[in-house]
Amino acid sequence: MAGSALRRLMAEYKQLTLNPPEGIIAGPINEENFFEWEALITGPEGTCFEGGVFPAKLIFPPDYPLSPPKMQFTCEMFHPNIYADGRVCISILHAPGDDPMGYESSAERWSPVQSVEKILLSVVSMLAEPNDESGANVDAAKMWREDRAEFNRIAERIVRKTLGIPTP
Amino acid sequence: MINFHSMPVILLDRLPLPSLRAYTIISVVLLSCSVYYAVQVTSDPNWKANATAQTDDDSDAEVPDLEETDIEVDSQNVSMGFQLGEMVTFMIQEPLCIWTLINMAYCCLILLGKFIQKLVFGELRVSEQQHIKDKFWNFVFYKFIFVFGVINVQYMDEVVLWCSWFSVLGFLHLLAQLCKDRFEYLSFSPTTPGWSHIRLLGLLISILILSGLLFLICVAVGFFGGFNTFAFMVAECVQLSVQTLHVILRYALHLYDMRQGSTGTAGGAVGAGAGRVWERRGPLAYYSELVFELAGLLLDLVHHLHMLLWSNIFLSMASLVICMQLRYLCHEIQRRVKKHRNYLWVHNHMEQNYPMATVEELAESSDNCAICWEKMETARKLPCTHLFHNSCLQSWLEQDTSCPTCRMMLNIQSPVAMEASRHIDHNLLAGEGPDNVQNANRRPPNHFFHFDGSRYVSWLPSFSVEVTHTQLFRSNQAQPAQTSQLDAMARQVQQLFPHVALTTVIEDLRVTRSVELTIENVLDGRVVAPPPMFQRDSDPPPQVPEVELITTVATRNEPTSWEDLCAVAEIRDVSESVETSANLGGRFSKSSAERERILQLRKDQLLMAARRRYMEKHRPAEPETSPSETDQKDEMQQDKDDDHIINASPNSSLRQRHIDS
Ligand SMILES: [Zn+2]
Ligand SMILES: [Zn+2]
Repeated sequence: MAGSALRRLMAEYKQLTLNPPEGIIAGPINEENFFEWEALITGPEGTCFEGGVFPAKLIFPPDYPLSPPKMQFTCEMFHPNIYADGRVCISILHAPGDDPMGYESSAERWSPVQSVEKILLSVVSMLAEPNDESGANVDAAKMWREDRAEFNRIAERIVRKTLGIPTP
Repeated sequence: MINFHSMPVILLDRLPLPSLRAYTIISVVLLSCSVYYAVQVTSDPNWKANATAQTDDDSDAEVPDLEETDIEVDSQNVSMGFQLGEMVTFMIQEPLCIWTLINMAYCCLILLGKFIQKLVFGELRVSEQQHIKDKFWNFVFYKFIFVFGVINVQYMDEVVLWCSWFSVLGFLHLLAQLCKDRFEYLSFSPTTPGWSHIRLLGLLISILILSGLLFLICVAVGFFGGFNTFAFMVAECVQLSVQTLHVILRYALHLYDMRQGSTGTAGGAVGAGAGRVWERRGPLAYYSELVFELAGLLLDLVHHLHMLLWSNIFLSMASLVICMQLRYLCHEIQRRVKKHRNYLWVHNHMEQNYPMATVEELAESSDNCAICWEKMETARKLPCTHLFHNSCLQSWLEQDTSCPTCRMMLNIQSPVAMEASRHIDHNLLAGEGPDNVQNANRRPPNHFFHFDGSRYVSWLPSFSVEVTHTQLFRSNQAQPAQTSQLDAMARQVQQLFPHVALTTVIEDLRVTRSVELTIENVLDGRVVAPPPMFQRDSDPPPQVPEVELITTVATRNEPTSWEDLCAVAEIRDVSESVETSANLGGRFSKSSAERERILQLRKDQLLMAARRRYMEKHRPAEPETSPSETDQKDEMQQDKDDDHIINASPNSSLRQRHIDS
């Protein structure tokens, strides 16, 4: 079980190292445990998260790629699709069986054909365009809809924080 | 497993336990004290008369036979060996000395455990420690129930015997658990050195051999102690062997896998041979897993049933605990059998419906298996012409019923899922037919119970209960339970109209709730593609606040901190760093240490570059620019032009840091 998961993760790691997508870096933090990765995601340009480098943790199950990994931002995040503790709520990370929000068709959900790269790319597009149908963070979703200026201000603060630049 | 551990563990964590060193010292001191005491007493030739007088009344059971052996010894012959024998006899008779001996034995056991841990495992991980702690308390709890509840021992020496048996057994159990945990952890890493595998396997095999020895002890005890005692002891013993064997087998398979993997990627001819073995390995691994899991569970079940039925513990606390455990075991066995039936079903379904791909087909699609990303020597073909490894497809279809690549619904109805879906089908059919529309539209009657207590006796309360039927199939909102059903319907429609996007079909089905109606809609051209997912509700991000934000940030920035920050990002040595960036660019090292280092460097670079870009963009618009700042500006401009430098510039400082650390 873990053997084939390990080989697949190794292949993905290799691919992500040799052909990294723009602004994304991912790999195991410590190769003693290949099932725990850290990813750095650059905020997409032209959005309120532009320029930030957001670290996230990816935890893979032993039966990967049959089951999806779990993803959690390790920095502070304020986004309609990210829980307060940093867990990411996007359809690609949901196993075909479970559907906590009840809005996704299984076509958008996890399948072994998906990969770390695809997950991270969808997270980037999620950062760009929040999907306020899934209310992982209700406050953020509300603010995104009603008070965009305040939302942008918070995002700006988070971006500065991830870059280690003190907020003026 | 029912866990009763939490409370004692919490209590124990609060208790100030002595360190192992202190405990060892105390034990040794106690032992030497009692030895000294024993020497003192036995140096007096008349000690036996005193001792028998003393011990006669408190432990009748063991004294007589000891006396018999002692009397035969000639008291005149005072050799060294005799002295020692005398001493040991005395210590066994003296309760205080017995306890120090037992304490010393436990101390030795703990030290042995510590030694093995140092030798084989090194530092234990937190989860391993926690696991061991839990397992330990669980074991103590169950054995306590067993000794005092099930066996119901009366005599102290019996308790001591059982305790020593369980101590050894528990010790081996904990070691086996630790081995299992560590094996699972090691299997998460591709770069475990060979000797750690060898040490772990060596320990596992010694546990297996020791459990064989314990089995012999069981036989010997059973010969004198009767069948029940034998069965009780042997069950635990066999359980240990089964668990250990299971881990050894999994270990062997894993090592084999890893070796196959490395040869498979290394060379073509070897890989081809490995691929064929690979296909056979799947069922073998599955069935060995099944046999071991079921054997373990059944053994446990029989053991618990034995405890429940052959000892008079009905209607006691012990029986309650055992019944709970039995319930758990039954549930587990049921679950396992269900899983196996599902496996068989999927297996047969695949054999019957999906042919193996021909050589031409394999050659045609040069892709790797989409599930494991490895080359396919043999493959199964789904109706949608997608190819997968047999074993990969099997394990996917056990949990899902669609093609991993194109999500086409496959026509699989496993016996487990059958009942649930049949129920849904029924409901759906009822709603689909035109005759039934009325029927389905009518809300099912709500049940309303009302109890008016005061009508009977004045002090009785009145209450009412309303039972409402929630409607699953007529609401506009898609319900979680039915999305898969919706998908299945969408596939049906899409099979007829492959040119229509799946999401479009699903959108329409959400409204019509019927395959026929949707087909009609498609035919009539009434189906329109929905807007893309993410733009449905969100407006494009407004530009104006963005600009405002930038200016406010810029003006509020303090020039001093700004310069500091620039200085941080600035440290660079171009000539050196170009070389490093070339080193990093598009390379996947074979050594794990180097990979880790490169990854860290790449991350640092990304962060640095992002920081610099950010500061460049949000540079405060100052009227007069100092010469140093113009320099920076130039440099940054240059950075922007030259990707190499932008990537490389923070390197030297980073590298400096790396060497330092
Ligand atoms: Zn495969
Ligand atoms: Zn397909």
